[in-house]
Amino acid sequence: MKRGILIVILILGMTSFAWGAEKKVVRIWHTESEAQTIAAFQSIIDEYEKTHPDVTIKQEGLAWGDLEAKLTAALAAGAPPEASHGQAITCASFYQKGLLRDQEDIAESVGKDNIFEACRNLCRFEGKYYGITHSPNTNLLIYRKDIFKKKGLKPPKTWDEFIKVAEAMTEKDAKGRVTRYGLSLPGVPLFVNILMAELTNANGGRLFDLKTGRPTFTEKPVIEVLDFYKKLNDKVLPPGWLGHGYLDTFTNLATGKAAMVYQGHGRSAGYIEKYAPRGMGTPEYFGVMIKPHGPSGKQTAAQIDAEPWMIFKNSKYPEEAADSLKFFFTEGPYIKYLHSVPVHLLPTLKSVRASAAYQDNAMYRRWTEWVEMDYYYFERDLAKPTLVVKWDDLKLPFMLEIFGSNILVDMVTDAVRGMPSAQAAAKAQERAEELITKLGHKRW
Amino acid sequence: MDNLSNPRRRQGSPAASDSQMGVGGTGQRLMRFAGDFFRVSKGERSEQVAGYLTIMPALFLILGLTLYPVGYSIWLSLLEKHSFFPQERFIGLSNYIYLWSDPEFWSSFWLGLVYSFWTIFFQIILGVAAALILNEAFIGRNLIRGIVLFPYMIPTIVAVILWKWLLNDMYGVVNYWLVAFGIVQEPISWLGADHIMFSVVLMSIWQFFPFVLLTILARLQTIPEKLYEAAKVDGASAFKRFIHITLPQIRGILFVVILLRSIWMFTKFDTVWLMGEGAGAGRFIRTLPVYAYMRTMTYYQAGLGAALAVIMFLLLVICTIVYFRMFREEADIG
Repeated sequence: MKRGILIVILILGMTSFAWGAEKKVVRIWHTESEAQTIAAFQSIIDEYEKTHPDVTIKQEGLAWGDLEAKLTAALAAGAPPEASHGQAITCASFYQKGLLRDQEDIAESVGKDNIFEACRNLCRFEGKYYGITHSPNTNLLIYRKDIFKKKGLKPPKTWDEFIKVAEAMTEKDAKGRVTRYGLSLPGVPLFVNILMAELTNANGGRLFDLKTGRPTFTEKPVIEVLDFYKKLNDKVLPPGWLGHGYLDTFTNLATGKAAMVYQGHGRSAGYIEKYAPRGMGTPEYFGVMIKPHGPSGKQTAAQIDAEPWMIFKNSKYPEEAADSLKFFFTEGPYIKYLHSVPVHLLPTLKSVRASAAYQDNAMYRRWTEWVEMDYYYFERDLAKPTLVVKWDDLKLPFMLEIFGSNILVDMVTDAVRGMPSAQAAAKAQERAEELITKLGHKRW
Repeated sequence: MDNLSNPRRRQGSPAASDSQMGVGGTGQRLMRFAGDFFRVSKGERSEQVAGYLTIMPALFLILGLTLYPVGYSIWLSLLEKHSFFPQERFIGLSNYIYLWSDPEFWSSFWLGLVYSFWTIFFQIILGVAAALILNEAFIGRNLIRGIVLFPYMIPTIVAVILWKWLLNDMYGVVNYWLVAFGIVQEPISWLGADHIMFSVVLMSIWQFFPFVLLTILARLQTIPEKLYEAAKVDGASAFKRFIHITLPQIRGILFVVILLRSIWMFTKFDTVWLMGEGAGAGRFIRTLPVYAYMRTMTYYQAGLGAALAVIMFLLLVICTIVYFRMFREEADIG
């Protein structure tokens, strides 16, 4: 009998030891799905796991367009990852729903003053950080310098001037067929949403009334944006641009099918080096310009592409996720990550930008002109996140739903397919008001 | 084994009562079942209990995996529910009333009908034609039979990437050849707003016609050769042999194939979603399943998404009943 009890105790002891020894699995989702970034991230994970033998980190690289839907499904199933990238509007929405762990400890560990000003408002509410971006950059107007010079063109300051430049850079063959389009734009919903807000900002407009949250799509600056879209569509864009993805536009630029892209990023430099004709994949052929502004606007605008890290407080190991992110932001690992796409992944931290180790990168040095353009927008507070025209838009509780509904995308599609801009705007306004009302956020 | 030759059925086992349940309500049936159950001997009753116990796991699986989700969807459709946040409110039929006046719903419904009709129509035409050809004897037949199944075996995501690549208006091979042969002057934007429905229909036909081919071919191979030989002796042409022998022989399987393909195409999500939303002009192929997904996963309105799913379900049930009524004979054969 005694022996039996002893065996049972031993078995229980061994089982509980096994349970105790079970590793904590921290799941991290991110949108940097390029192979070299995944490899860099994995090496950071390996390094972290060496000093934290009780933790296993599993990374998953997701496509930009899939992230929100996948997060939604995970949250609905009650199984969110420990940490994830998200757009600023996603982070804001999740904060408002009480899903996020604050990241004050991470901000303290990296140094609050060390975070670039442009990155401070992405997901900070009531004085607390709920998301710190892995890396910021802006979208860029990239153009073919050689063609631009050959045609003797001047940098455009207004949208009308821009269309003229794009028309001048369009090329046709002897039969009148277009061989190079003036501009390439992605027609993917995410990027139409991004550009819609960016152009509204560059035209001195707004998409929502901040006091009441009521959509303002029928206001003059927004309608002018739709008119601009119409002109681009009719004069300088490929006819099938609505079917083009983000990476298609890079390909179009690198292979000479388009002379400019409006929503380029530092990432494009890699594509240009790889796919441009031999000898042409350099900043001497592909430059960046300050974006023009609209007829009702006085200054330009850009989109800040800077997904904050979010930590879900209802996940299994949020503290371990926070600890691993502190390690991620330490100089050595962080530079390794940034250097995986050097011109695109810019540092969130001032100290890293100033560090010699960070600047010691051939590609970064080659494309400095592009990087400087990012900082031009950052330093003047001209860059705002997706769908955000004013920083306070992030306080509106329905931005994620507006984004997901494709109402703005449908509005642009209606306009470029011939519907009068005012009518397309009114239709979208009605849909957005209905959605906001149905979500219970109507305040007008 | 009929009732007369089966002693247990004669004794009034549940199986026997099943066959007699042509009349009477559910209450009557239950009473009869209870009577039957207690009339049999103890040994037979325990045998019956064991029988019921053995089918229990399967019954629970069916209830759990089929009826529960359907029931839950119906319940969800009566709520105003956020997709991931635990907030919900019973609103009765409001979601259905809202959808009735929602132009996006009607647009999705119409696009779904267009997509289903054309894909099914051409899958059947192409599938039957290909099956007839591959039923004939010729050199390399087995190889071709294998090759034509490829589209059906390729994962949808691969097929979509392949087609997007082929149809790209800037560097796609389809446009390259069309321009090179002078068929068109300018490349056609196959994935743009004007042609994306055509492209997704074309791709779906290509991807799914092998299913029709396979099932029809299997049936063709069981048609007795004697029938054709006799018709040939009587001087029937190939067309007449098809009309009077082949078609009547395959109509049963055709009935099933059309039914299955209609259900599958009307609820097809992955192909349409991948072709559309990633490409930008997705609004022009936003069919009902895609719209249901969007309402749930991007508008975060799980109740409305569920209402759309229930509407699709009801539409399919009604269409299936009508279909069965219209083609009673084929249904019996099928």
